[in-house]
Amino acid sequence: MTEPGTEHTDDAGGVETATAGDLAVHLDGITKRFPGVVANDDVDLLVERGSVHALLGENGAGKTTLMNVLYGLYEPNEGRVVVDGTERAFGSPRDAIDAGIGMIHQHFMLVDTMTVAENIALGNEPRKWFGMAVDRERIEREIRDLCDRYGFDVDPTATIADCSVGVQQRVEILKALYRGADVLILDEPTAVLTPQEVEGLYDVLEELTAQGKTIIFITHKLGEATHAADAITVLRDGESVGTVDPNRTTREELAEYMVGREVLLEAETEPNEVGETILSVEDIAVEDARGVEVVSGIDLEVRAGEILGIAGVDGNGQAELIEAITGLRAPERGSVVFDDADVTDWSRRDRIDAGMSYIPEDRHERGLVMSFDLVENGVLGSQRSEEFSESGRIDWQGVRDHSEEIIETYDVRPPDAEADAESLSGGNQQKFIVGREFERDPRLVVATHPTRGVDIGSTEFIHERLLELRRAGIAILLVSSNLDEVRSLSDRLAVIYEGSFMDVTDPDDLTEEGLGLLMAGERPESRAASDSADGMSPTTDADSGGDA
Amino acid sequence: MIDGLSRWTVIAITASVAVLWIALGVVFPDSWAGVTLSVAASPGTHTAMLRLAVPIALAAIGGIFAEKSGVINIGIEGLLIVSAFSAVIVTFWLGSGESTFAVSHHWWGLLAGVLVSTLFALLFAVVCIEYKADQIIAGLALWLIALGLAPFVSRIVFDSPNTGNVGTFDNVTIPVLSEIPLLGYLLFDTPPQVYLMFGAVLVGWYVLNWTSFGRWVVASGENPKALDTAGVDVRKVRYAAVILSGVFAGLGGAGFALGQLGTFAGGGETDMQGRGFIAIATYLFANYHPLGALAGSFLFAGLDAFQLRIQNIGYAVPSELIRTIPYVTVILVITFVGKTRLPDAAGENYESGED
Repeated sequence: MTEPGTEHTDDAGGVETATAGDLAVHLDGITKRFPGVVANDDVDLLVERGSVHALLGENGAGKTTLMNVLYGLYEPNEGRVVVDGTERAFGSPRDAIDAGIGMIHQHFMLVDTMTVAENIALGNEPRKWFGMAVDRERIEREIRDLCDRYGFDVDPTATIADCSVGVQQRVEILKALYRGADVLILDEPTAVLTPQEVEGLYDVLEELTAQGKTIIFITHKLGEATHAADAITVLRDGESVGTVDPNRTTREELAEYMVGREVLLEAETEPNEVGETILSVEDIAVEDARGVEVVSGIDLEVRAGEILGIAGVDGNGQAELIEAITGLRAPERGSVVFDDADVTDWSRRDRIDAGMSYIPEDRHERGLVMSFDLVENGVLGSQRSEEFSESGRIDWQGVRDHSEEIIETYDVRPPDAEADAESLSGGNQQKFIVGREFERDPRLVVATHPTRGVDIGSTEFIHERLLELRRAGIAILLVSSNLDEVRSLSDRLAVIYEGSFMDVTDPDDLTEEGLGLLMAGERPESRAASDSADGMSPTTDADSGGDA
Repeated sequence: MIDGLSRWTVIAITASVAVLWIALGVVFPDSWAGVTLSVAASPGTHTAMLRLAVPIALAAIGGIFAEKSGVINIGIEGLLIVSAFSAVIVTFWLGSGESTFAVSHHWWGLLAGVLVSTLFALLFAVVCIEYKADQIIAGLALWLIALGLAPFVSRIVFDSPNTGNVGTFDNVTIPVLSEIPLLGYLLFDTPPQVYLMFGAVLVGWYVLNWTSFGRWVVASGENPKALDTAGVDVRKVRYAAVILSGVFAGLGGAGFALGQLGTFAGGGETDMQGRGFIAIATYLFANYHPLGALAGSFLFAGLDAFQLRIQNIGYAVPSELIRTIPYVTVILVITFVGKTRLPDAAGENYESGED
């Protein structure tokens, strides 16, 4: 195990003493201020060559800012950046790339319409014919060499749009390696991957460090940091809490460093009494924008006081299924019954009025109007309700009070109702949406990725609120790509694959591997055996609803 | 998408209508079909088509560069107007028919037209890229300013919105090649702006597809952040692309004015008659492919040439209606063929370092 050193004397436990080991990167006293915020306050980071170093912290802790400083996207207000023992001042990513630093962003920086090879070489194209043409053969040859060396299976001539997310991530890694990166920064690399792809990523990291590359990865997931890293530096509120050895610390300890107080890592679910059926969907089929059927005959049922979870890799029809339930997309066939009324043909507005709350997947696109302030955003969906109207006009004072209540209850920061939605961080935007939808006094909450991009502390709070709603007899339909979340919260868990449910089951009956296999469209042996004769067919609808 | 009206169905319907028309025209030469067929088949129509295609094709190539880089240049018509006008007026000032440094004043006029167009494009780029103005509004302003400025300056110089006549380029005849049957007179005995058009389209196609700059332009329009993090300055790429649109449109406007018109009428919609907008329709129709845009401009210019000649031999054809054909075609193509796809970041201003 490596001995990551720190020069400063933090009082957090587990801090190692300074060593003058072989450092690939040394950030010394970095301070980065934005108008009104100190994103990084005198942060030190020492990364040993050939190691995997995790940068752990909640959203808004300043992890990405710190790495953007290292990658030349931001210039620090104070502090030194030392790479390979030489002090550097990066004016642009180009300078950082030249110094051997590569960054794999959370949202892949790839051009969908171009090929793998074109993306990898972008900005660094080798040329031929006196610089008059891009030497494509050479790019492809070099990529094949890199793939052989690191054991990647990537076709350089494929178009990015046709590649899976896992492959796209590998393309990003290749892009950095192609530019001669020795230090690779990965920003939340597992956010978009299935459990199997995550395992693959760990293998890739191992192969890379074995060949002398240094990895810094940003994460807010404790499990990843302890599993994959040789050293973990924890950031909180823009400050470094310290660097720890994952073998000498516990998850609880780490969580406490991150949040600054004790945290419940797993939501406590106790059995709850379920009531009548609130939502029942029968044999629903939905087409996506291209006219392809992406939901093929799903049945589901959610009862009062119950959480039905839907797990699956993004893009398997869950988005369209939810749109059909919430009234954003008309199904091709099938019915949606809500509170004993057939609402299949109801408008979105009627469904909201009937008590259907919805936390959308994309908070920018559907959750908020980014250029509105929080007062205005707080009334979205209720703008016609009695509560907020005053002789036909909107009662802005009432709306303001309501929004301020959400801000306070859900700890939205900064606590300023007049701030534009776009000025908030993603996690705070999410908390505001969750607050608005939960406070609508719903009969049913449809929550898609309710804690995506939200820090641990707020996640804990949102989970508690979800469970409170459940106790109050609200029906909850939960879609999440966070497996821990759906598994711990759901009373029943449906796994969706290519538009059908693979299985609907008690989440406690499923191991993580089993769940991963179902999400990949494969039935684990043991379950296949216990299933009916046609259980192997992935297109068969699992019996749903009835087994509650 | 409408079922059953696939690309091939559309092509098949078009082809059968064409075959029917040709058959009728050959069998009954005095019928309406016969007359239109003979006009469509006449060398004069083809020559006119090539010349009328010049502003459309060149403006389309310029528009492709700008829009592929993420800056929608809807003001390309304005660039055609200012370049055509300044080409004519500079030639007039220098004295048409004479030359300086052994170069004919028409060529100096062409150069001036291109420079002025490039200058306007640069202005547009500064407004859109530096000051992050809405591209559509800035583009419309570019067109409206040109629409007012050209006749205004013309009134000061000529006391009329129309400029004096400076004559046109002579044909450049390439020996031997021009003797090739059918194509020779068309491609190798033609005024210089037609050669320029072919050359520029080929250069545009090559640059966009085979050079690294071309790849950067595409990346800048699809995912500027990807380009930025790859270490290429998105601002510079967009500036270069918009300036290129000014150069291409300038060649189109000035070449058309000096090679075809010999004068410039600045009244109403000016002599450009909305060809810049037809160019936009053309590259959308071609889904941003330079060679496809060239073919599209032949189609639309061919319709124009056909319409002009039909009127000349005494048939009343509503030219206003004919001019709607490019736009109707684009709507049909987008609706039924569905191939046109705007770059993801087209129309969006990009700021480096934002999160």
